[in-house]
Amino acid sequence: MDNQPPLRIVLAKVGLDGHDRGVKVVTRALRDAGFHVIYPGLWQSPESVVRTVADEDADWLGISLLSGTHMTLVPRIMQMLQAAGLRHVGVLVGGIIPEADVPKLLAVGVARIFGPGTPLGEIIEFLRAQGSRTHA
Amino acid sequence: MLDELLARFQARDRLALARLLTLVARGEQLEAIRAALSPKNETTPVVAITGNAGVGKSTLVGKLAEVLRAEGKSVAILACDPQSPLTGGALLGDRARMPTHPEDPGLYIRSLAAPSGHQAVAQHVDLMIRMVAQFGFDVIVVETVGAGQGDIAVRELADVVVLLVQPESGDDLQWEKAGLLEIADVVVIHKADLPGAERLESQVRELLSLPGCREIAVLRVSSAKQTGLTELWSTIASCPRRSTLIEPDGQVLLRHAQQVLAERFQDRAGSVGHVVDRWKRHELDVTQAADELLHVLAR
Amino acid sequence: MATAMDRKLWAQWQQEIEKTPPSPRPATTVSGMPIEPLYTPDNLEGFEYETELGYPGQFPYTRGIHASMYRGRLWTMRQFAGFGTARQTNERFRFLVEKGQTGLSTAFDLPTLMGLDSDDPRSLGEVGRLGVAVDTIDDMRQLFSEIDIGKLSVSMTINAPAVVVMAFYLANAQDRGFEWRHLRGTIQNDTLKEFHAQNEIYFPPEPSVRLAIDLIEFCTHHVPQWNPVSVSGYHIREAGSTAAQELAFTLADGFHYIDQCLARGLKVDDFAPRLSFFFNAHNDLFEEVAKYRAARAVWADRLRNHYGARNEASWKLRFHAQTAGCSLQDKQPEVNLIRVAYQSLAAVLGGCQSLHTNSMDETLALPSEHAVTLALRTQQVLAHETGVANTVDPLGGSYFVESLTRQMQQEAHRYFDAIEQLGGMLAAIDRGFFRREIAEAAFAYQREVDAKHKLIVGVNAYQEPDEKPLEILTIDHAVESEQIESLKRVKNQRSNDEVRRTLDAVRRAAAAHENVMPTLLETVRARTTVGEVMHALADVYGRCDSAVV
Repeated sequence: MDNQPPLRIVLAKVGLDGHDRGVKVVTRALRDAGFHVIYPGLWQSPESVVRTVADEDADWLGISLLSGTHMTLVPRIMQMLQAAGLRHVGVLVGGIIPEADVPKLLAVGVARIFGPGTPLGEIIEFLRAQGSRTHA
Repeated sequence: MLDELLARFQARDRLALARLLTLVARGEQLEAIRAALSPKNETTPVVAITGNAGVGKSTLVGKLAEVLRAEGKSVAILACDPQSPLTGGALLGDRARMPTHPEDPGLYIRSLAAPSGHQAVAQHVDLMIRMVAQFGFDVIVVETVGAGQGDIAVRELADVVVLLVQPESGDDLQWEKAGLLEIADVVVIHKADLPGAERLESQVRELLSLPGCREIAVLRVSSAKQTGLTELWSTIASCPRRSTLIEPDGQVLLRHAQQVLAERFQDRAGSVGHVVDRWKRHELDVTQAADELLHVLAR
Repeated sequence: MATAMDRKLWAQWQQEIEKTPPSPRPATTVSGMPIEPLYTPDNLEGFEYETELGYPGQFPYTRGIHASMYRGRLWTMRQFAGFGTARQTNERFRFLVEKGQTGLSTAFDLPTLMGLDSDDPRSLGEVGRLGVAVDTIDDMRQLFSEIDIGKLSVSMTINAPAVVVMAFYLANAQDRGFEWRHLRGTIQNDTLKEFHAQNEIYFPPEPSVRLAIDLIEFCTHHVPQWNPVSVSGYHIREAGSTAAQELAFTLADGFHYIDQCLARGLKVDDFAPRLSFFFNAHNDLFEEVAKYRAARAVWADRLRNHYGARNEASWKLRFHAQTAGCSLQDKQPEVNLIRVAYQSLAAVLGGCQSLHTNSMDETLALPSEHAVTLALRTQQVLAHETGVANTVDPLGGSYFVESLTRQMQQEAHRYFDAIEQLGGMLAAIDRGFFRREIAEAAFAYQREVDAKHKLIVGVNAYQEPDEKPLEILTIDHAVESEQIESLKRVKNQRSNDEVRRTLDAVRRAAAAHENVMPTLLETVRARTTVGEVMHALADVYGRCDSAVV
């Protein structure tokens, strides 16, 4: 292990869907992998997610959604992050994203999408390889 | 880079505050940041909320913040969670129990990882407190990891220490007794809507009536039922400031000097260790060792 | 008891299997329960047929709650549906009724489930998406328009605002001239599992339970054929629990509802017969069958021996099953058809009363009509082609299944003790006991999958490099504005004085700890919205604004 300070990642459930099994499992895995995971709870609005990312000086934001509202909420969050001067924060999306929507989300600046069944190790490796753009 | 951050911080740029807090949390640039701050703003009250895991600290902190916001006071919350000793990882989930008012600039919540061991708060919280105070928040609330026995650090950081206990928290009030006597200014019987609150209150009062105890307020609060919260704030507000109470004390000064030394000479830990090792092996007597140490530090 | 001769033969077998190379890891169920290579009478020491199994339709109902089970009547094939506006779902319902479906099952959209109106900012993007949007009694009227709810049984999956939605339903039924005592159906109204797992939460736990009991009490007196609660393990399992946790937490929830009803002064035999259950049907066939059998035995024992119920109907645990949504994969989605088929086999071998089979495309989107049809066909093949309905409890007497059934019961009792030690249901919720247990199990399972100790076809084994995506259903975004428009119309037409007056009455009843149902029936007739009524209740009960890791 190198002596890099731990990455700070906000894992947020946005919208009304309360399925937090996935986000909890990822939270736990990232913590065990040495990350600092900030979990702001369920039912986050795009506004509150952006505020959390800003105040916590996060390196990464992981958005979890399973209700199918990603095309409404994710572009909104991306836009608000930019407006808040948080372009440097890397964004991941986890959950059920139909194939056709993947390129659209990548086009608005999402770094990576992790669908159901993604091995936890893959997420950890991805984050480690990417490191921090906040504290570059 | 740091200068630019500090300038933005002085201009009340919230992102700069957030970034500087990260640096401090990592123990980077401490001296420079400390130097850039004006002397401690004695007027900003610092409230520490402590108590065992599961007693509802985060929830209460969130409710208290709402009471303060309703009174027009801005609040900065420094919420500490434990860091894994094995991996250094941490789950910082306190804010999930606090209100989200993204449009409200008067509320700042920052999650911090406290190193494992017996630390109740994150490292360098003292400096972070000064930073958020200087940024202009009216009240600072520090949420501990869950107090351990006699956590002096918390007492030194805060003007008012609020200890939370809850009904049916087990039969062992022992550490809490120690905690009560050593650190608390206010004891909150939290989750007062649960059965047993009244009994717990009388138990606590009994403990506090022992001779030699300081004057400690006891009150019942239910965050779920929203009762006792405004009373809690007025009790806190009426507590005398610790900083005005404490007589200038050589111990405190020495301890502080020690901390500053540790920070300043972090990079020379190896050389210091080397001197200490030689002393332990009786290659140096204590006077020689002290001389050597000063030598290393003055280099 | 094994004789000396048996022992010798057993030792021989033991030697024989030791020759085969041992597997690197012991076999376990999906839930991680260790499994022996062979079960024999030795695993069932002290087994007594009469007390542990009995005959079907007789205490303790391990083998089933009806004497003839599916020979008498097949399970009900009840598929869950709902999307868009009430008008759209009504069309789908009438289509299903025309096809001969005898029961309807309503899915509500997330805003309705959360007690929010369609025009609430938090509802943005969610209106009519995962179910039907219902804001006022007008929507309920539209939803069941031209449907004979005097004959059909209607199921409604809703929890936090269950009292409000039930008030919509009952007021509408009355307005249309249906007598309440003839209405048949189920409302989920299981608020406890929301705190354990599902997170559709509005009020703190204690008042949430109080409202659930209001509904049970009201139905007991006025809508006697209605199931006023469906105690649900389904969502607990979906959140990642083990089978034993699903069993134990669900039954513990049921016991808590009983305790609260008794505290209201209801007699156990007056309401217990109408308590119904809802379990998951997961991949591990035998573990699932054991779970259902154990559930019946534990419930019957508790009702008879602890609660002193005398009516046999109180002892019988009736359950609906749904195949496990969490087991479906987005990789090679057609393979989900096969999973669903085995899962439904488990539910039927376990003696379910009704069954919903998931559609293969559910991880991707709302199910298409083609996928829904195949899901229903799965049940029909099972019922009519496989012969599983020919005899009652076909797995009864299997050394393996009986051992597992026992083990499940023991696990359940272990959890009941743990909950009691924590100070009961609400204290255990407060301490995060259930969430922690479930999260641990979910994490342990994911680790097993990641390490490939458990293989999932198409996911960590047998992947296809180039998959063709399935055709999926996309939803029309106009739904949201259409619904908001109609809500606006209602708000313009109604009397604001009546709205205020009736909501005040709701607040007063809640504050006085009276059953709120009568005031809810009054206020919904003044065309108040779900959101308004929930707000009024929250003025008294407070809100639960966080659900935490």
